[in-house]
Amino acid sequence: MIFSDSFEFTCPIKTNSGKKALEQLPAELDALNAKRPLVITGKELVSKCIIKKFTKAFGDSGMTIGIFDGVTKNPDWKLIDELKKVYSEKKYDSIIALGSGVIVDVAKVLNIAVSLNVDSKKIAKDPAVKGQLKPFVIVPTATGSGLETSRFAHFQGTVFSSFYLMPALIIIDPRMTRAESKEDMAAAALASFARSVEAYIAKSKNPLTDAYAYAAIGFVAGNLETAVKKPCNKKSSLAIANAVAMSGTTMSNTAAGLISNLGQALVEMFRLPYGIGMGICLPHILAYYQKKGGYNIASLLLPLAGPDQFAATPDSSKADKALAIVGGMIKELYETVGNKIPKTLKAAGVPQYMLADILEKLSLADDAAFDKEGYLTVIESAWEGKPVASAGKE
Amino acid sequence: MSDLVKEVAAGAKPFKKAYVAIMLWFMGRAVQAAAKADAEVKKEFEALPDDFTFALGVLPNGPWMVVGKEKGKVKYFGWNPDAKKLDLRLGVKGVEAAILMFTFQESTAMATSRNRLIISGELHYALAFMRIMGIVETYLLPKIIVQLAVKRYPTQWSFGRKYGGRLRVYTRALLGF
Repeated sequence: MIFSDSFEFTCPIKTNSGKKALEQLPAELDALNAKRPLVITGKELVSKCIIKKFTKAFGDSGMTIGIFDGVTKNPDWKLIDELKKVYSEKKYDSIIALGSGVIVDVAKVLNIAVSLNVDSKKIAKDPAVKGQLKPFVIVPTATGSGLETSRFAHFQGTVFSSFYLMPALIIIDPRMTRAESKEDMAAAALASFARSVEAYIAKSKNPLTDAYAYAAIGFVAGNLETAVKKPCNKKSSLAIANAVAMSGTTMSNTAAGLISNLGQALVEMFRLPYGIGMGICLPHILAYYQKKGGYNIASLLLPLAGPDQFAATPDSSKADKALAIVGGMIKELYETVGNKIPKTLKAAGVPQYMLADILEKLSLADDAAFDKEGYLTVIESAWEGKPVASAGKE
Repeated sequence: MSDLVKEVAAGAKPFKKAYVAIMLWFMGRAVQAAAKADAEVKKEFEALPDDFTFALGVLPNGPWMVVGKEKGKVKYFGWNPDAKKLDLRLGVKGVEAAILMFTFQESTAMATSRNRLIISGELHYALAFMRIMGIVETYLLPKIIVQLAVKRYPTQWSFGRKYGGRLRVYTRALLGF
């Protein structure tokens, strides 16, 4: 391994994963000096059964918790102000996000509002997070994308970025992480896989991001098939949820590259879930990176295939084999899920005339490796579903 | 505005709590009995300082068992951890984690490795406590269950130690001497 003598890595998250992890939440809250948590969740986004199991886990703790279950797919700033008022009036001292995606974004923004005592107008005007926030806990469900545990929050078009936004604790319980559908599980797995692959081959990687990315890639590679075929399987869904949580830490400590930026652009422009968009683009991006050079694609073989296969493969074939495994994994996943998730950007409803707009959005992102022609080739090949080398050719 | 957030009070788990309380009560008396009936437990306690007291219980509201040395003798001090100055306190993070331990779905060592116990005190005292608990559980439970509860089942125990010791520990624990 190449040792980088100067690097930074931040992960303030305590992870509590496994059987009955949820029941340890009261004791863990006590350790964070939190006695009255406000739970943020959404009836539309999280099943009633999950909310019921969650409240039951507090049994015998003597605590009284506040539950807001009204987060919708499109929350507004008014909600933040209303929740902030209730938070102060009822003297809550911590925030728990029960769910993933937008629920966690609402909880993160609310945490900024209550901790720094600022209203939504001020937050929208100045999204910098200036100071330590209240204890923040995430209990994720199966629909995560990795952003939950990251230093980022997206709310009403504003992007927040601060290590203070990362949770102090994440409780990953197999009763919470079982998915309702194959598509949800596939999207979560692909999102974490793509983010971890990006971190693992990133030029700005360091030994600690490597450790997280290695584990996350291994978890997805080893559990994807079962998790997608049986989204209710406790063991494999728990592994995927752990991979999702770890990918958030890696992306917080790695400069965003084409995979993340393209995934974000597809979410913002076409509301394509992170995992679906990044899953479509990942093989094309990796093929482009291999063609361009400078990315250690060969190193991916180790977490994907394990040390034995890695050692048995000649150096000259490692990159090709890694790409073949990634392609095979995604192909198999598409076969399992069927037509419920799109395999190309075209099938996902991205109009061809907007490919240039996607490229323009990518040019605005903070990406030192931006290459107009190369990136366009990737987008075109992901749109058509043809390999990078033959994109645009008949 | 007041309907925006629902206040939910944590429920109770009286049956599970009662089960754990009975197990702790009997375990406490069995530790006291084993200190007299088993040479290895006796030796472990001899290595501990005089007036050494430890408690094992469920966070945050109990139940607890408190055991310690008083004038050189090992005694079960009851259920109140606040009545004594504790040298070692092992708190299980919630009644559900305690149920896993006391229904022997998880051994004490496994529960520790899964971060279900909060240990306050010296680590070597905690390790001595784990060894004592392992021996006491071996006396109290049949082999098929004790294999789940302890790290390693002691196959080298003689017939006399196993069955004679079990009889002595059970008799003393039930009669409380």
